[in-house]
Amino acid sequence: MGASAALIEVHDLTRTFGGVRALDGVTLAVRAGERRAVIGPNGAGKTTLFNVLTGELSPTAGSVRLAGRDITRATTWQRARWGLARMYQRNELFAPLSARENVALAVASRAGPYRLFGSSGAESKMADELLAKVGLAGRESSAARALSHGERRQLELAVSLAQGPEVLLLDEPTAGMSPAETARITELIASLDRALTILIVEHDMDVVFRLADRISVLHEGRVIADGAPGQIRGDVRVNEVYLGKAVTVG
Amino acid sequence: MRRVATWLAIAVAAAGLVAFPYWSAGWESSRFATTVLRDILVFAIFALSLDLLVGFAGMPSLGHAAFFGAGAYAAGIASQRLATSELAVTLAAAAASAALLALVIGALVVRTAGIFFLMLTLAFAQIVFAIAFQWTSVTGGSNGLAGVGRPDLFGIDLSSSERIYVLVAVAFLAIALGLRAIVHSPYGRALVGVRENERRMRALGYDTTRLRLSAFVLAGTIAGIAGALSAYSLRFVSAQDVGIGTSIRGFVMVLIGGAGTLVGPVLGAAIVTYIERVLSSATPVAETVLGLVFIGFVLLARQGLVGIGRAAWAQARR
Repeated sequence: MGASAALIEVHDLTRTFGGVRALDGVTLAVRAGERRAVIGPNGAGKTTLFNVLTGELSPTAGSVRLAGRDITRATTWQRARWGLARMYQRNELFAPLSARENVALAVASRAGPYRLFGSSGAESKMADELLAKVGLAGRESSAARALSHGERRQLELAVSLAQGPEVLLLDEPTAGMSPAETARITELIASLDRALTILIVEHDMDVVFRLADRISVLHEGRVIADGAPGQIRGDVRVNEVYLGKAVTVG
Repeated sequence: MRRVATWLAIAVAAAGLVAFPYWSAGWESSRFATTVLRDILVFAIFALSLDLLVGFAGMPSLGHAAFFGAGAYAAGIASQRLATSELAVTLAAAAASAALLALVIGALVVRTAGIFFLMLTLAFAQIVFAIAFQWTSVTGGSNGLAGVGRPDLFGIDLSSSERIYVLVAVAFLAIALGLRAIVHSPYGRALVGVRENERRMRALGYDTTRLRLSAFVLAGTIAGIAGALSAYSLRFVSAQDVGIGTSIRGFVMVLIGGAGTLVGPVLGAAIVTYIERVLSSATPVAETVLGLVFIGFVLLARQGLVGIGRAAWAQARR
């Protein structure tokens, strides 16, 4: 771990798809407990960055460190064991299983699957607590596929929190939500334990400025700005490539 | 109280099942009924093991007969070459051979899914079939392995048809109860998770490749035990035991009964075996009936008999 005490260090990360450089030398350092937003126009490389961080894609070049450990070649499940959790943009749930069972599978991952005996009582209880926390009390027994879109997003968040992560990657947590649902999940994320390190990709700038301690702006696979929310608002280049087009920054 | 009553009912039914040849001895057709029931139970074990893969872990294998056959040959060859009829030895040889074969094949196939998994398991099983068919000096080739000895268990002679039935019935009950515990365990729930969303399971920290391999080996081992029981029962191992026909038969049993349940494969084994063994002596179109029954289930009742039963129950409770 460097002098910066960074929990996540991404160094010169490059990922090409054929001739396209989705990531083109991205370098980032995120301190423990920081809440970092990664913004940028569509195709800037945000989701590719998340896929490389979780190991679902391997980088063409560059390295990723988690708490000082080089995880560039580690598998997705190993990274999860080391404290990395992801809330997917498109829900990745266990459709026919109940909300409780969805969360319980995440809780159970810590003890591992090779247990032929043992009750699920403690896991179900933890699952119910987490479901209450994300606002799904009373929906524990509903199948994931029977939930509304907003409820599925809440469940998606509960599943990723149930892993007990140190680093939480939120991939467009408010995608497809109504304004009321967006406000609710934003406050929920804001109220999470401050010790949890959060990386968030989000298009809704109100959500970004509400949650982020620091913002990195990606454009064409490169970090073009990196700073506190106030600095990013004032950055001319950022306004040119992204903010100016997408939203009116007040 | 209701739990106790349920378990008591299960215990009585289990005792009745195990003792069938004795309490039915007065019937004219008792011996025939015993052999049919024995074969149903052997295939129920095989179908249960396949359902662990197909129904629970979401791994539709078309090569499961390879492990049934490996167990059958291993039990038969061990009893002949080692000149022992000790059940502990021959059954252990069967389970170990099937497990080893499943480990080797599994290591090569579990990273694939869907149609590729289906085709690869079929291809490997055909290789095993070709070996069984052509390695005449060991397997008897196309003549099969005749004269498989019936086992002893620690000095108790199990060679009578009643006792071999009891062995099969006890093994069936032990395996069915064991699988019931397994599918409700954290391990069984993790397999269902892999079936429903492997990507999410990896993101949750599960080594899904290893989980799938473990399920493949477990299912293969149980199929090997079923194969050994078949060899003891029939005193014969045929190359067809390893063939695609046996794999498909298991698949049909699972689908007719209801994949992803433990009752379904047992019902499926009973129906298929009944049609093949009993109906086929009454009518020449039994095989056609079986085909039509299968088509009917695939088109109209994907959840199998258990699915139909559940739907009826839900309707009745309204």
